[in-house]
Amino acid sequence: MLAFFSPIPLALYLHIPWCVRKCPYCDFNSHQAHSPLPESAYVDALLRDLEQDLPRVWGRRISSLFIGGGTPSLFSAEALDRLLSGLRARLPLRPDLEITLEANPGTVEQNRFAEFRAIGINRLSIGVQSFNDGQLQQLGRIHDRRAAFAAAEAAHAAGLENFNLDLMFGLPGQTVDQALADIANAVALRPTHLSYYQLTIEPNTAFHHAPPVLPDDEVSDVIQDRARAELARHGYRQYEVSAYAREGWRCQHNLNYWEFGDYLGIGAGAHGKLTDPAAGQIHRLWKLKQPRDYLASAGMRAGIGGDAVIGEADLPVEFLMNALRLIEGVPAALFTERTGLPLAALEPALSQSRERGLLEVDRERLQATDHGLRFLNDLLQGFMSE
Amino acid sequence: MDHIRNFSIIAHIDHGKSTLADRFIQICGGLSAREMADQVLDSMDLERERGITIKAQSVSLRYPARDGQIYRLNIIDTPGHVDFSYEVSRSLAACEGALLIVDAAQGVEAQSVANCYTAMEQGLEVLPVLNKIDLPSADPERVAREIGDIIGLDASHALHVSAKTGLGIAELLEEIIARIPAPKGQPEGSLKALIIDSWFDNFVGVISLVRVVDGRITPKQKIQVMSTGRVFQVESVGIFTPKRSEQPVLNAGDVGYIIAGIKEIDGAPVGDTFTGADRPGSEALPGFQKIQPRVFAGLFPVNSDDFGNLREALQKLRLNDASLYFEPETSQAMGFGFRCGFLGLLHMEIVQERLEREYNLDLVTTAPTVVYEVLTTSDEVLKIDNPAKLPPSNEIAEIREPIIVAHILTPQDYLGAIITLCIEKRGAQRGLNYAGGQVQLSFELPMSEVVMDFFDRLKSVSRGFASFEYSLERFQAAPLVKLDVLINGEKVDALSAIVHRDQAQYRGRELTVKLKQLIHQQMFEVAIQAAIGSQIIARTTVKALRKNVLAKCYGGDVSRKRKLLEKQKAGKKRMKQVGKVEIPQEAFLAVLQVGKNP
Repeated sequence: MLAFFSPIPLALYLHIPWCVRKCPYCDFNSHQAHSPLPESAYVDALLRDLEQDLPRVWGRRISSLFIGGGTPSLFSAEALDRLLSGLRARLPLRPDLEITLEANPGTVEQNRFAEFRAIGINRLSIGVQSFNDGQLQQLGRIHDRRAAFAAAEAAHAAGLENFNLDLMFGLPGQTVDQALADIANAVALRPTHLSYYQLTIEPNTAFHHAPPVLPDDEVSDVIQDRARAELARHGYRQYEVSAYAREGWRCQHNLNYWEFGDYLGIGAGAHGKLTDPAAGQIHRLWKLKQPRDYLASAGMRAGIGGDAVIGEADLPVEFLMNALRLIEGVPAALFTERTGLPLAALEPALSQSRERGLLEVDRERLQATDHGLRFLNDLLQGFMSE
Repeated sequence: MDHIRNFSIIAHIDHGKSTLADRFIQICGGLSAREMADQVLDSMDLERERGITIKAQSVSLRYPARDGQIYRLNIIDTPGHVDFSYEVSRSLAACEGALLIVDAAQGVEAQSVANCYTAMEQGLEVLPVLNKIDLPSADPERVAREIGDIIGLDASHALHVSAKTGLGIAELLEEIIARIPAPKGQPEGSLKALIIDSWFDNFVGVISLVRVVDGRITPKQKIQVMSTGRVFQVESVGIFTPKRSEQPVLNAGDVGYIIAGIKEIDGAPVGDTFTGADRPGSEALPGFQKIQPRVFAGLFPVNSDDFGNLREALQKLRLNDASLYFEPETSQAMGFGFRCGFLGLLHMEIVQERLEREYNLDLVTTAPTVVYEVLTTSDEVLKIDNPAKLPPSNEIAEIREPIIVAHILTPQDYLGAIITLCIEKRGAQRGLNYAGGQVQLSFELPMSEVVMDFFDRLKSVSRGFASFEYSLERFQAAPLVKLDVLINGEKVDALSAIVHRDQAQYRGRELTVKLKQLIHQQMFEVAIQAAIGSQIIARTTVKALRKNVLAKCYGGDVSRKRKLLEKQKAGKKRMKQVGKVEIPQEAFLAVLQVGKNP
C-alpha cells in the first residue's frame, strides 16, 4: 500500500476528437469531422462523463483546464460556453485558472477567438507546425503560411496574448536555414510559449505506412541546438524536452503531467490518472475511444474504456518518464509525495544512473544531465522492472 | 531371447533413416495413424525443426514374421552428423546388427563409412540397404559397387527399398530376422545392464536406457551402479513403443528403460553398468571410450544472476551428453560463466539452443576455438582452450596447432574446387583414390580452419554432394599469433582469437569492419581496434547516437509511451555490457565470419 501525505494537484482535460482532416503524422485520437458536428450532444456527453467521475475527486480543487483534440476550435463559442458553464456548476473553478483551448489556423476559427476570450478561455495553443508552404503541404495541413500569421495576429487582437505555437522540425527535406526561418517567424508573432517538436514517425499513422525521407540525425541535431540558442536569445527558455516559454508563462497544465500530478480525462479516448490515498493506490482510467460509442455511453459504466491500478513496480519509471523531461528536474521529495514510495524504490538504478553521468548527482533533486536528456529513453530503461 | 533382434540404423543426414524407422513403427503398429507425427524418433523440438537426430532414441516393436513367430525388434536410432559420431558408437554397443542405409541416387557418404567401420569393429552384422529407389535418379548398381569399393562390404544382394513409399520394407523386416543374430547372454546369470543413455525427467528423476546383457531386471529389485557402488531400488521398467510402455521385466537381450528413483543428476552415468545389489556381477561391461571435446567456447549469462541456473542446466545436459565439458570461467569483459567444450560447431549451437529453450536462459557465446599446445620458454607444455589464457609472448617458445586428417568423398566433378578449398585452408594432400563414381580424398588440415566454416564451404563448392569425416592426428608448430580486439581502448578478452601470422592483418581488418556493422550506435562513439601485441593493425568507429528521447509525452500518452520503451529495452536482450558498451551476441561470433576469402 502506497502512503500519501500531501494533497496531490488535480487538472482537468477535455477531449474533442474531431478534425477537418487527419494529418499523416498524427497518432492522437482524432477523427475526420462530418458536418454538422454533434456539438450539443457531445457537450452533454462530456458533462455526463464528468458527473460519473466526480465522486472520485470530491472536494478537490482544479489546478488547470485544457481542451484538446482533435481540433476543439471547430466547436462554436456557444457550445463551449455551455460546456464551461456546466463545468463551473459541478466543480469550483478559480477565476484565474489557466484554461487552454487548442486551435488550428483558419478563418472560421480565428473569427471565434474574441468569443472564446469572452466565455473565459484565457490561453490558446495554435497548431502552426511550420511557416513554409511546401512543408505544410507535405505535412497534410489545410492551412498555409498566411493563415498561420493571421491566426496569431487574431489571438493578439482578441486579447489572447497568452498563446502557444506548436512548431515541428526535422520535416521532410528540411534544411537548417529553413528551420531557423520558422523560428524567426514564430518569435516575431510574440507567443508566450512554444512547443518545438521533432517530427517522429509513429505507428498507426499514414507516414508509418509510407515514410517520407527525413533529414539525418546530425541535421536535426544542429537544428535543435541552433533553435534552442535562437529562442533563448529572444527570451524563450527551454523547460522541457520540447517546451519553451517566456519567463512566467510555462504551461501549468502540462507541468502538472510532468510533475506526476493527478488529472481527470473527460471525452472520447481521454485518459485520467487519479490517486486514491485511502486505498493507497494510483489508478489510470480511460474512456471509450470511438466518438460514436462514447456519445452513446458516456456517463455510464459502459463508457469507461478501462480502469487499472498502476503496479508498484511500474511507478518509478512512470514518474520519471514525466519528471525527467523537465530540464530542471524536480525536488527528490516529489517522488515520494506523488508515488507514495520511498526514494529507495529507485535504487539501484538511481545510483547507477548517477555513476553513468545520466543524472545530476545533487541528492536533493531528480534531474537528468544534458547527456541524460539526450538519452532519456536509455536512462528510463534502467528503472524498468524486468 | 531367440526372438529378439537389436539393431541400429547407420545413415547420412537426409538418406532417410528417420523415415525408415517411422515406416517400421507403422508396419508393426507401434502408433496409431493419428499419433504418427512425421519422424517420431526425433523427439526434441530442435531435432524436428532441423530435421536431424541428435540423441540416440530407441523403439521396441512387435513384429509378426512370415514364419508365424512374433519377434521383438529393438531399433536404436543414431545421429547422422559428424559432430555426434560419439553417440553412434554408444548406440552400436547395444546391438548385434546394423542397417547401412545408402541413398541410391547420391551414393556413399564419408560419415556413413566411418560409422560403418565402427560397427564392423564392434563385430556387428551390417546389412546394406539402398534407399530412395523410387527416385528417377536412383542408380542402385553403381551405388552397390561403390559400397563394395569404398567400404569393402558386398552389396550386390543389398535390398532395394523406398522408405517414403514403403516399397521393399516388408522384405527388409524378414531379412533382419534372417541375417541379424539374436542376442547372446546368460538369462539366469547375475544382472549386467549397460547404460546406453540417461536423461533427467522432472517428474520421475533419471530415466536410463539400458541393454540387458545378463540376468533380468524387475520392479522392486535392488540394483547397484558398478562404478560408484550406489544402490537404488527399481521403480519400473519398460520399453518405448515408441510411447513409454511399462513391462513386468526386462530380460537378457532386451533394450528398455529403468526408472529407479535416482534424483541426482549424475546418479546413472552413461557407459556404466547396473548390476544386482544382492548378487553383483564380477566385472563391469566395457563402457565407452571417453571423448575429448574439440571446440571450446565461453558461455555467459546475459544476466549475471543466472550463473547458478546455467550451472544446473549444464549439469542436466551433461547427464546424457558426456561429450559436453564445462568449467567455470571468469572473463574481465563478460563476468562469470563457463568454458565449455563441444564436439563441433553444430554441437555448440545445439547446446546453446537447448539451454535457452529448455532452461529459459539468455546466453552470450564467445567465439569457439580449438585447443592449442604451447611450449613455454621454461619447457612446459600447456593446453590452451581459450585465447585469453595464452601466456605473454616472451614466455612462448612455440605454439602448436591441432592437425586433423579429413577423409572426403566426392563425385569427380567437384574434385578441383575441393582441392582448392583445402589448400586455401592451409591443407596438405595425403591421398587420392578413385572408387566407383566417387573420389576418396584425404587431406591434413589445421583443425582451426575446419571448425570455422569448412563444412559449409565444402557443401557449397560441391553443391552438397561431398561429405567428410575427420580425426585428430597430431599437434604441429605453426607461426600463430594472438589477435586482440580493443573496444574504446580496452582489451575485450572474449573477442581475442589465435590466428595464423600471414592472415592476421587481413583478419584484423575484416573483424573490425564486421564488428562495426554488428555493434549498434550508442550514446558515445565506439572505437574498435584490432591489435597484435601492442601494435594496432586496424580500426573502425561506430559513430555516437545523437539522441534517444521521445519528442512528446503527455498524460494520455503514458501507457503507450511506456510500451515503446519496453519494446526498445527488449531489443537489448542478448547484449552483453562490456565496460560501457553494449555488445550483441553476434559480435562475439564475428570472428567466425571473417577470413572466408583471404
